[in-house]
Amino acid sequence: MNHRRPTRRPTHRPLHPIRPIVALVLAFGLLLGGASTAFAQEADATAVLNLATNADPTLNPWTPGAVIESNLINTILFDQLTRYSPDDLTPSPALATEWSASEDGLAWTFVLREGAIWSDGEPFTAADVAFTFNDVIKNEALGAQSASQFAPVDRVEVVGDHEVVFHLNTPFSALPYYLASFAGIIPAHVLADAENPLEVASFNKGVPVTTGPFKVAEFVPGSFVRLEPNPLHWAGEPRLAGMIFRVIPDPNTQVAQARGGQLDVVTRLNPNDVGGIGGDGRLEVLQQSQNLFFFVAPNHDDPRFEDPRLKQALLMAIDRQALIDALLDGFGEVATGPVAPMLGALYEANVPTYPYDPEAAGALLDELGWTVGSDGVRQRDGERLEFDMPTGQFGDLVPATLLVQQFWEDVGVIADVEVLEWNAYIQDVVVNRNYEMTLAWWSMPPTADVAPYFSCDAAQSGNNIPNYCSEDLDELMRAGRRAITLDDQIEAYSAMQQLLAVELPYLYLWYPDILTAKSTNLHGFPEITAATAFQHAVDWFVAR
Amino acid sequence: MTVYVARRLLQGVVVLFLVSLLTFFLMHLAPGGPSSLVDFQSTAAERDARLARFGLDRPVHERYLVWLGGAVRGDLGTSINQGLPVSHLLAQRIGPTLVLGVASLALAAVFGVILGVIAALRRDRWPDHVVSTLSTLGMSVPNFWLGIVMIILFAVHLGWLPASGSYTIGGGFDLGDRLRHLILPAGVLAFSLMPNVVRVTRAAILEVMASDYVRTARAKGLIERSVLIKHTMRTALVPVVAMLGLIATVLFSGSVVIESVFGWAGIGRLAIEAANGRDYPVILGVTLLAGALVIVVNIAVDLLYAVVDPRIRHD
Repeated sequence: MNHRRPTRRPTHRPLHPIRPIVALVLAFGLLLGGASTAFAQEADATAVLNLATNADPTLNPWTPGAVIESNLINTILFDQLTRYSPDDLTPSPALATEWSASEDGLAWTFVLREGAIWSDGEPFTAADVAFTFNDVIKNEALGAQSASQFAPVDRVEVVGDHEVVFHLNTPFSALPYYLASFAGIIPAHVLADAENPLEVASFNKGVPVTTGPFKVAEFVPGSFVRLEPNPLHWAGEPRLAGMIFRVIPDPNTQVAQARGGQLDVVTRLNPNDVGGIGGDGRLEVLQQSQNLFFFVAPNHDDPRFEDPRLKQALLMAIDRQALIDALLDGFGEVATGPVAPMLGALYEANVPTYPYDPEAAGALLDELGWTVGSDGVRQRDGERLEFDMPTGQFGDLVPATLLVQQFWEDVGVIADVEVLEWNAYIQDVVVNRNYEMTLAWWSMPPTADVAPYFSCDAAQSGNNIPNYCSEDLDELMRAGRRAITLDDQIEAYSAMQQLLAVELPYLYLWYPDILTAKSTNLHGFPEITAATAFQHAVDWFVAR
Repeated sequence: MTVYVARRLLQGVVVLFLVSLLTFFLMHLAPGGPSSLVDFQSTAAERDARLARFGLDRPVHERYLVWLGGAVRGDLGTSINQGLPVSHLLAQRIGPTLVLGVASLALAAVFGVILGVIAALRRDRWPDHVVSTLSTLGMSVPNFWLGIVMIILFAVHLGWLPASGSYTIGGGFDLGDRLRHLILPAGVLAFSLMPNVVRVTRAAILEVMASDYVRTARAKGLIERSVLIKHTMRTALVPVVAMLGLIATVLFSGSVVIESVFGWAGIGRLAIEAANGRDYPVILGVTLLAGALVIVVNIAVDLLYAVVDPRIRHD
């Protein structure tokens, strides 16, 4: 088996005096080994890679509904202004080569790449960036996907063929990160005349005009999308002869096909399937990260949650490691807040973490006046400590909710679980906020800027599902957005994470490992995150 | 005969109208909304803008009338989640589903009748027990499970057959390649449909063979093969044809699962995607198409009765 077992994140220990020498010898050996491997790994120029997608993709990153089935293929097709560095996930040049912010942080200048061209031969210019932002993302009547992430952007000004200025309504230091997060640039010369540039069927479901290292050769809805290399790509000619994204809705079939050698990459692998992969050495499982956390959201319209100690007690009553072991086969880590450890310096580990302690949870609930009644359920002033907890049929949400329900029952707290079909769940819980507790997840760009999910103006109608609102928190998040230097960001976001760990707008459950199965023969595939890997598809190659 | 067919077709149009009315209002009663408009990450402002753009902020009865006006002119609307005309999607997907359906039905009919006859002729002996066990398995094993097991066996371990899709991507049209892709999905679907044919064939043969005229035929000294083929089969086929008609109408529901497991780009998968994603115009289009197929198959079965049983006339 080639996958690595789940491990704790590495901790730094002082080196033994002999170790540096051993390390040097090892490093030299590895260098030699690496060099010889590089020579041995000549790219097979005829290799066509087979990948799976669970449904027909929509080949426009901004069309509503273009989400999980479309994100990765769109990442390959539509280059963005920035992309994540495979080393540390910082934004690195893509269609923009350099950028800088004004002193007040309200204007960001991006110098665009010269020589980048669209797949129909037209040059890529500043007009395309202005069109993508001003006419599509910022056009509220279109309701573009993820438009709310760019709420701080007022408009994009063209100052030259290859230079734009983003004018903001508030400082937004995370802008280059968001520009690397499924934010492909779309062609003005193709879509500007369309009545609705997000609904052009020949583009979205046909052969779109793109800038990425691969372009669409054929799209047979319900069956596959075949990509061919774009030899004129600015980063050089791709090293594969093509890619085929096969539409395979059933995840079990995807795994079976990968095992049968008919698929080379399967993303978002179910942890239970890891054991069946890699036996013959043809496939390996990558444990990738993502800035993603699972949570239980208390609805703060409920006055019981005004005192954070109730939430702290409820979090202490949940054995989160047991959830990770039971649901994820151990492929995950207990969450301490919305910012995942993968963010390195921006992650603040030194916060209250509420380890599993049902006795302490019970004592805290007693202190708050929630005492165990004759029926075994805690109550205060005749009111039982009971929550409506709807859950949706998606992934592990239902079993996770039922496990949380059991942990709470052990301390005398009742969760009334109602299982809803996924679409109905979104309508009821996310749109109408008709719940008291609910378990879900957020996936965010690799930045500590979590304002879209926590700020007061995102409560009730935005992505702040728990409707939590704190002026102190808003000010800390604004400070983070104002901070341009890393040190200033660390300071602001550290304080923010401290507050979030005490106030618990969400009860943080776990950071899952993102599991990807890939052919051992596929190289140049950054392991850090799936998005990063697909942003660097131009470097992928199959060893001959 | 022509008048009969015309009358049945006219009744069919009325049925389709009622089906559309019921489906339209039922699907709007279901909670949720089109997945492209009501997704997890959208803000209220984004959702409202999209709902208005698709006219989903208007009253339900008004939307039905708009849809009906288009439908009678042959315009079934545009898919909310895919942005393509519904008629275009149906046209794209009907071919693969018909291929899968006809192949499964043919396999179920041929093997079902053969096994049914064997079971009847060898009643209560080991061939009957083997056929009965197979039928029970076919009835009780879920399609999706059998599909995965067949993929693991024939595509992963043995490598004899492709695991999904209906042809090899990148090659031209190749009948052999298409048939190789068809074997697993059609075989699994046929295996679950076959037991009905087996049971009906077996019961019908046993019933007919116990009838007076068969006894008379035997008394006349006809050989057993002649009794079976000339005198028994034709009468026994009437309920079998009826069963095949019934199966043809439920093929659709079976193909929903099979098409998902085998990555088969047909109507069944379109239906499940549309239902999960609340793609209202596509749900309506698929339902109407399924309704139309049921009506046409029923008329065809009724006409076939007259062919296999001369006592039945459609005057």
